[in-house]
Amino acid sequence: MKLRKYASFVICLALVMGVLAGCSKSNSPNNSAKEGEGEAQTQQASKDVKLTFFNTSAEVNTVFEELFKKYNELHPNVTIELIPTPIGGAQLEKFQSLLASGNPATIVNLDAGTILQYKDDFLDLEPEKAQYEELANPGAIEGALLDGQFLGIPWTAQGYGLLYNKRTVEEAIGGTFDPASVKTRDDLEALFKKIEAAGKAPVMVHGADWSMGAHYLGLTYSLQSQNVDDNRKFVEELKNGKVNLTENPQFTGLMDTFDLLKEYNARKSDPLVADYNRDSADFAKGNTAFYFMGDWSWAVIGTLEDRDDEFGIIPLPISNNPADFGNAQVAYSEPKLFAIDDSKSTPEQQEAAKAFIEWMVTSEEGQNAIISEMGLSMPYKDLKAQSTNIISNAVSKYIEEGNIINIGVINYLPQDYWAKTGASMQKYLVGKIDRQGLAQEVQDYWKTYAGK
Amino acid sequence: MNKKLSLKNVGTFLVFGGPSIFAFAAVVIIPFIVGLYLTFTNWDVRTGDSSLIGFSNYLEVFQDKVFLSQLWFTLKYVFFTVVIANVFAFFIALALTRGGKGEQWLRTGFFTPNLVGGIVLGYLWQTLFSQVLPYLGNKYGWEMFQTSWLTDTGTAFWALIIATAWQLVGYLMIIYIAGFTGVPNDVLEAASIDGANRSSVIRKIILPLTVPAIVICIFISLSRSFLTYDINLALTKGGPFNSTELATYHIVQKAFLSNQYGIGQAEAVVLFAVVAIIALTQSYLLKKLEVES
Repeated sequence: MKLRKYASFVICLALVMGVLAGCSKSNSPNNSAKEGEGEAQTQQASKDVKLTFFNTSAEVNTVFEELFKKYNELHPNVTIELIPTPIGGAQLEKFQSLLASGNPATIVNLDAGTILQYKDDFLDLEPEKAQYEELANPGAIEGALLDGQFLGIPWTAQGYGLLYNKRTVEEAIGGTFDPASVKTRDDLEALFKKIEAAGKAPVMVHGADWSMGAHYLGLTYSLQSQNVDDNRKFVEELKNGKVNLTENPQFTGLMDTFDLLKEYNARKSDPLVADYNRDSADFAKGNTAFYFMGDWSWAVIGTLEDRDDEFGIIPLPISNNPADFGNAQVAYSEPKLFAIDDSKSTPEQQEAAKAFIEWMVTSEEGQNAIISEMGLSMPYKDLKAQSTNIISNAVSKYIEEGNIINIGVINYLPQDYWAKTGASMQKYLVGKIDRQGLAQEVQDYWKTYAGK
Repeated sequence: MNKKLSLKNVGTFLVFGGPSIFAFAAVVIIPFIVGLYLTFTNWDVRTGDSSLIGFSNYLEVFQDKVFLSQLWFTLKYVFFTVVIANVFAFFIALALTRGGKGEQWLRTGFFTPNLVGGIVLGYLWQTLFSQVLPYLGNKYGWEMFQTSWLTDTGTAFWALIIATAWQLVGYLMIIYIAGFTGVPNDVLEAASIDGANRSSVIRKIILPLTVPAIVICIFISLSRSFLTYDINLALTKGGPFNSTELATYHIVQKAFLSNQYGIGQAEAVVLFAVVAIIALTQSYLLKKLEVES
């Protein structure tokens, strides 16, 4: 009996210690010891450079790691370590805590808006600008400027709208589907009715706050005008409380369409589950005809087994007038930029980082990884890899025709806008608030940023 | 002579206590003081600007209705988690100290969830609540499981409690078992000779004699559930629409997403005060119930 008593105490203690040890291990992804080590190394042999890479494109973490390995084989003096983040998880929180604790990553792959907010911490790439203007598509570098400064190198282009599964749509309408035939909201509703009659779910609305707040509601700010500066002014007016959203045609148009999507939503019975893999799979396998999402979902869809082969994209109609801005355009942006830290990194690290980024966007290995393996499209000329991403190829057609909504205004929005307004959109999605309530909550959110 | 002795004492103390004092200062005391200082500034990591602004962060905290309602939400959450986890742990421990077969295995089994990290555990329960249970619910027509528990404000609250309690129970159970084995056999024997039945043995003998274990368990479960962050992040991410944001989650969001470090830190200090007051009061009150056998 006594032995057992002691034994249980010892086991208990050992387990507690185990738990504590486990905690402490997982809490130090990139601590100061490592940075000191890196500095010491550069002093010892001026050639060896250690870089860290902070990645917010979490779905392609492994592809980046492969690239780092390849680059290390070509340039044995440069080692690059990935600092991963979870998909849709606390990415910004992690970036900020690294920065606040004085251990920023050498290279970051961040949303343009985040780079703008921390612009003093990043290296001005003005000397490299002319070179990249040569390499990139016309206008691509211009579009990546933040307040006129070249701080981040664009490497991916993304578009979003209503994706469609060609087979499902065509089976429902009994003929070939012409994406240009959907010009207005009524056209879309008629199509949804046919699909529902054919026994399929018409549309998938992914109920996550980022999809609702940034991609859907975010269109309100981008649709005001084709000019990003005008859109910025609109946001300023929102902050000053001068905008009544319920009287704004773009907002009401968007929300009327949202009501339609809500009614025909495949996840109608439980709209907030928001399982990205499951939603994408249901669309890819043809259980749902449309999906409000972007070409990035190819990272999931492309690798699925027994999925359909043909997909496309149509603009999200926001009114019944085909000529209105937005009804023929898909949203487009260069969402992620590579930027180089200028707060703690040494000049050697910065030079190595520049060389590595250039290698990533120009070499065959880099382009192959980004285009074929990540399934993203690159805003660069003379690409050495062929894209297998059917959805981004569909987006490219709109880009070539100039039918795009430039959503650059989101780069200038505060970092928490998607989480806060996304929560309001979720309330609207489940009917917890009505449109008046939604407009009120969104306006109230913006007012807290008055004068900031 | 006396001076020499006390000097020697100080030296001995530093040899043994120094390292741990250093570690404690480096990771607890100094960060705490710096944190307190931060609450009086408007520090922003983007600009590096930090000027003293007095108590205005605290004023904002007490005007922030969202934070106050989340603090209240956290109190409710903590109350139910503590009660449920302790009641279950107490009775499981009781059942597993009767000397039945396979007891050791069962103890290990109940303890295992505690070894699973909060994030993993959160994702595990997320799959259960949003996929497995709705699947079964739809198959067998159980209405309460037909939609995910995580998408409704009411059920998401309970989902959070169930997941946390599930993790805590094993840990508390071990402490209760240790407490029960400390109950002297002669007292129990005397009781059974006097003809006491099982329930009065529990109420009149085991319960009073295990008060120290209960105090520890309630203290641990209180502080751990007040500081829950990982399960909250992995299971509900504060959703649906921020209705299940615990105070810690709100603080992290405030500081690291909305960039209001000073206010976030001030909220953390308020939370610290609340936890300290409640935990100390409960252990003071319960300690009075302790008896000697």
